Amino acid sequence: MKQTIYLMAIREALDEELQRDDKVFILGEDVQQGTFGTTTGLVDKFGPERIMDTPLAETAVAGAAIGAAQAGFRPVADMMFGDFMYIAGDEIMLKAAKWRFLHGGKVNVPVVIMAAVGGGMKLGAEHSMIPEAMIMHTPGLKLAVPSTPYDAKGLLKTAIRDDNPVVFFYHKGLLGLPGEIPEDEYLIPFGQADVKREGSDVTVVATSAMVQQSLAVAEQIKDKVSVEIVDPRTLEPFDLDTIIESVKKTGRVVIVDEDTKRCGITAEIGMQIMENGFDYLDAPIQRVAAANMPIAAGFMEEHVLPQPKNIAGAIEAVMA
Amino acid sequence: MKLKNDDLIFMYKTMVRTRKLDEITIKGLQEGKVLAFYHSSQGSEALAVGAASFLRPDDYLWAHHRGHGIGYILAKGGSGRDFLAEHYGKATGSCLGVSGFHFADPENGALGAAGTIGSVFPMSLGWGLAAKKHGRQQVTIACFGDGGSNRGTLHEAFNLSSVWKLPIVWICDNNGMAQYTPITDAYAKDDIADLATGYDIPAVVVDGMDIIAVHEAVQAAVEKARAGEGPSMIEAKTKRFREHSIGSPDVVHNQPRTDEEIAEMKKLDPIITFKAKLLEQGVLTKADVEKINNDAEAEMAEMDQFCVDSQIPDPSILNTLVYAE
Repeated sequence: MKQTIYLMAIREALDEELQRDDKVFILGEDVQQGTFGTTTGLVDKFGPERIMDTPLAETAVAGAAIGAAQAGFRPVADMMFGDFMYIAGDEIMLKAAKWRFLHGGKVNVPVVIMAAVGGGMKLGAEHSMIPEAMIMHTPGLKLAVPSTPYDAKGLLKTAIRDDNPVVFFYHKGLLGLPGEIPEDEYLIPFGQADVKREGSDVTVVATSAMVQQSLAVAEQIKDKVSVEIVDPRTLEPFDLDTIIESVKKTGRVVIVDEDTKRCGITAEIGMQIMENGFDYLDAPIQRVAAANMPIAAGFMEEHVLPQPKNIAGAIEAVMA
Repeated sequence: MKLKNDDLIFMYKTMVRTRKLDEITIKGLQEGKVLAFYHSSQGSEALAVGAASFLRPDDYLWAHHRGHGIGYILAKGGSGRDFLAEHYGKATGSCLGVSGFHFADPENGALGAAGTIGSVFPMSLGWGLAAKKHGRQQVTIACFGDGGSNRGTLHEAFNLSSVWKLPIVWICDNNGMAQYTPITDAYAKDDIADLATGYDIPAVVVDGMDIIAVHEAVQAAVEKARAGEGPSMIEAKTKRFREHSIGSPDVVHNQPRTDEEIAEMKKLDPIITFKAKLLEQGVLTKADVEKINNDAEAEMAEMDQFCVDSQIPDPSILNTLVYAE
């Protein structure tokens, strides 16, 4: 194993896949410099033909990637901020997601749409989203939401090799997160949740940066409550089995997610547990998510996005 | 390329087949065999066939939505039967009966058809980028209408196709009508081609009712693209003989188009004018013309029967189509 940080793990995954397969290329605004460091330096190794800086034109970036994917390439489009994916809604939600189905399986769209997501940087309503629900809601897309350097590298390599469109959300708050990864190549299959902490009293299902927040809370309250933390790692495909296995043991569930609460993924996951694991529940499911309002900037951000105290409060409530 | 007599006959035949396929699709809609809707291409056959004839099979084609692409598809060697079966909702359709009216024939460069007008621009940009990266002198033919030209996506894709010198031939079917709205109320200038020159993309305006004029302009652009000289644009002024969507009102805004107006347009019918030319030049005889007509009718009757006899898709396929294994 070797020490790295989250953004370096992402860069390493891109580097290895660019090296392995000449059909892989990256395009997006300022990917040569790398706005968040995830693509920095790759142009020196692979050249500007494969690390393509584009103008500020999200529909063209997404369309070029998706179209080229149909025509034999494995492009990685960096949308910079996840919020900006809405600009390319037609390309991502209608074309990438639907075109295999719509055309009777005759065409595949092996594209990766990656974007920095999430709050904590006080950037406000149009630079802080983690629009997971929009993607998970859309049949045809896959969605990876890594919470550690290990997961980030392994999931991104799998994403690039997938014959389907994959949305890969890397969290801005995790970019400097340290962690260990193997020296040798590895991949993480989609649809396999990971138990990030074992426990016996309550199951916390958390994604992306909320995994790290939940781990910190669990550590703080370990003398009172034994918390098990399950990280789905991919929301489509979604590993419900691992969650249900955990619920059988604990009987109590808190779902923690940074996307908006209303029609958010906490609602979806909660209902799937109700449908498939109701008999194992000893208490109503609690959920922690962003308030039903745009994400405020500056000092107001913490009043919209979930905070450790909200997670601790929900655990307390479900244990009561 | 210099057109030989056989080429001219191929183009004439393909226009006739396009019109007949259009007519049988309309009839199918009226008889309840066509399940979704249909946007007739009558009046724009010269553009479709002129543009898509004599391309390479591996050239990418984004057909114009009028006629759901039939003229382009047939000219490029695609299957009219797959097209019709798809419209009939049958398992033998080009998309297994799942799409209703979209067409895909990847082996023939048709990588799909969209439901959203103006999505041609970013997606064709991707096909053009792939064509350039493959390095096999492929071109991308990307068609849109005057309506589509109003989308902002045009700006992003025209701009990047020019900056990246992509082998794309942008073709505008300007029939002057976007559903019920005339172009005079949707665009401030006379020629959409002016949009291309603004991005340093060479552009020409051609008579879209003249198949030879269209073909020569498109071929010149194709040759430039194959030579690595970047994108071109061709604006073809065409006519829309039928209402926007079969069964919808035939209006300008909310005022009906007159019979006189339509009759005047039909004097320019590209099939009739091309036929007259070929007869006059002795490329075709009256007997040839009759045979081409009869053959096309027989082909359509056979297609119709095949599609009627085809099975409805098994719903168990649906789950297999959402994701590739």
